[in-house]
Amino acid sequence: MDSETFQRIARQAPFNDAGHGFDVFGLHPPALATAATWAAPLYERYFRVESKGAERIPSCGPAILVANHSGVLPVDAAMLCLDILRRTQPPRIPRPIADHFVPRLPIVSTAFARWGVVGGARANAQHLLESGELLVIWPEGTSGPAKRFRDRYQLQHWSVGFAELAIRYGAPVLPVAILGAEESWPLAAKTLRVRPFGAPYWPIPYVPLPLPTHYRIQYGAPIQLDRDHVAADADDPHVVAAAAERVRAALQQLVTDQRNARRGWFR
Amino acid sequence: MRVLVTGAATPLGTAIIDHLLRARDVEAVLAVDREPARLCDRVEVRAVDLRHARALHDLLWGEARDHAITTIVHVDTRSAAVTRELVVACSEHPTIQRFVYRSFGSVYATSTQNIVAEDAPLDFRPHAPAWLRERLEADLAVCAHPGGRLAIAVLRCAEVFAAGCGSALWQYLSSRACLRPIGFDPMVNLLSLADAARAFVAAVAVPAVGVFNIPGLDTLPLSRAIAESVRPNIPVPRARRPPIGPLLDGRRAREAFGYVPRTPVQWPRPWWRRLIDELTNAEAETKTL
Repeated sequence: MDSETFQRIARQAPFNDAGHGFDVFGLHPPALATAATWAAPLYERYFRVESKGAERIPSCGPAILVANHSGVLPVDAAMLCLDILRRTQPPRIPRPIADHFVPRLPIVSTAFARWGVVGGARANAQHLLESGELLVIWPEGTSGPAKRFRDRYQLQHWSVGFAELAIRYGAPVLPVAILGAEESWPLAAKTLRVRPFGAPYWPIPYVPLPLPTHYRIQYGAPIQLDRDHVAADADDPHVVAAAAERVRAALQQLVTDQRNARRGWFR
Repeated sequence: MRVLVTGAATPLGTAIIDHLLRARDVEAVLAVDREPARLCDRVEVRAVDLRHARALHDLLWGEARDHAITTIVHVDTRSAAVTRELVVACSEHPTIQRFVYRSFGSVYATSTQNIVAEDAPLDFRPHAPAWLRERLEADLAVCAHPGGRLAIAVLRCAEVFAAGCGSALWQYLSSRACLRPIGFDPMVNLLSLADAARAFVAAVAVPAVGVFNIPGLDTLPLSRAIAESVRPNIPVPRARRPPIGPLLDGRRAREAFGYVPRTPVQWPRPWWRRLIDELTNAEAETKTL
């Protein structure tokens, strides 16, 4: 990524400045632009990320991207966020929602906060949607990266909180299929005895570093959950579960289609 | 409207009285503190030690009743027992109809990186520091009071960034060196004295009941706050967690009484900047003469 693109993210990306160059959660666009610059070789040359359908991301207003999750560490999340930054004009800063244990990690928590990552609390997500931000949610949570290799590309435990938010705030939901992350850094085992900083497990991968698989990102058609429901339906757990299942089915179909269409792991 | 302000000689109490005197619908202000003081020509602080039941009774059923006080702004939060006695006494008082209590955002039990609304859980940890338990006890005493015809508003304020306002963060940032846990740089929200006073005056003017978060205008990383305070920032392993409250969601206060933070905090100036300012002012005065 050249300096022009750095300037594009650092200067042009709109964000809600809380007065000192940071937003209330600690997002700092120059820090994000620096990280995006350093990660550019990974995006362009190592994983050779290919994406389709980015024009479906709304240019403004609240929206929720719902993606599948895999890999020992959230490399897939980083590639997705980079892709959003690079393919939106003006660049939209994605706000990934992380698990509860992430803000307790030293150094990582601070770095993630500067790059726009937000802890997974309901009030945080509500605040972001009310501010018209672009949320990125992995409803599988840690069960996605923790799944066995033979279960790859099968969506795991599915949280429904995003559907409640989408109905309540009228935000469109875009399913996003990420391919390549499952084979890049598969999980061999996990230890439940070693759980530093409240992490659910300690991962043991098959390979020490991620393999250079070919990443493919496909943005699906937006799903307007609020068209079929009124805001009060967000309080009904059955309605919310059905809406979340609808998104899950759409994402699973997208993932399966992309998997069938690709030629191989590395091509 | 006739208002009694406790803790009137504290910086926050003084700022509230200053704003109250400028409000149109305030007819009289009765200022009370443990020590006598004179704030201005219009207000004299009565020396009343509210920790003594007799003094509290004499104040409420003597001077407060004579002046037909309608509203209490309770800023003197040094004792939870006093707060409990005061709110019970006010509910039985013939003229007092409104009770506005100053509480703290630090009573919430949450990570510092999260925004909290008024319904967030409170910090009931048994090993919480004594000062925090005292604040929580006072907050609960007011919140749990049924109120009756007394309209109670609890204002949970962000850290008021000024001396003498009970801010643990102010004390931390005023220390010789600021030790912070290595690898952590949480966001802090700071409330200026002027904004805090405006929030209380706005809350006094409307009959809104319940708990309201009062956030400040300045939200910045702890490291930046330490730099602005001109203190050495020393990250150390296993350091004690700095006294940082959560990030408060101020929507309810905005909707109920129109409070929006406007005034940034005043950062302490280093000696060399004070010297430059004094020299510049002296030069300007010489030119004027």
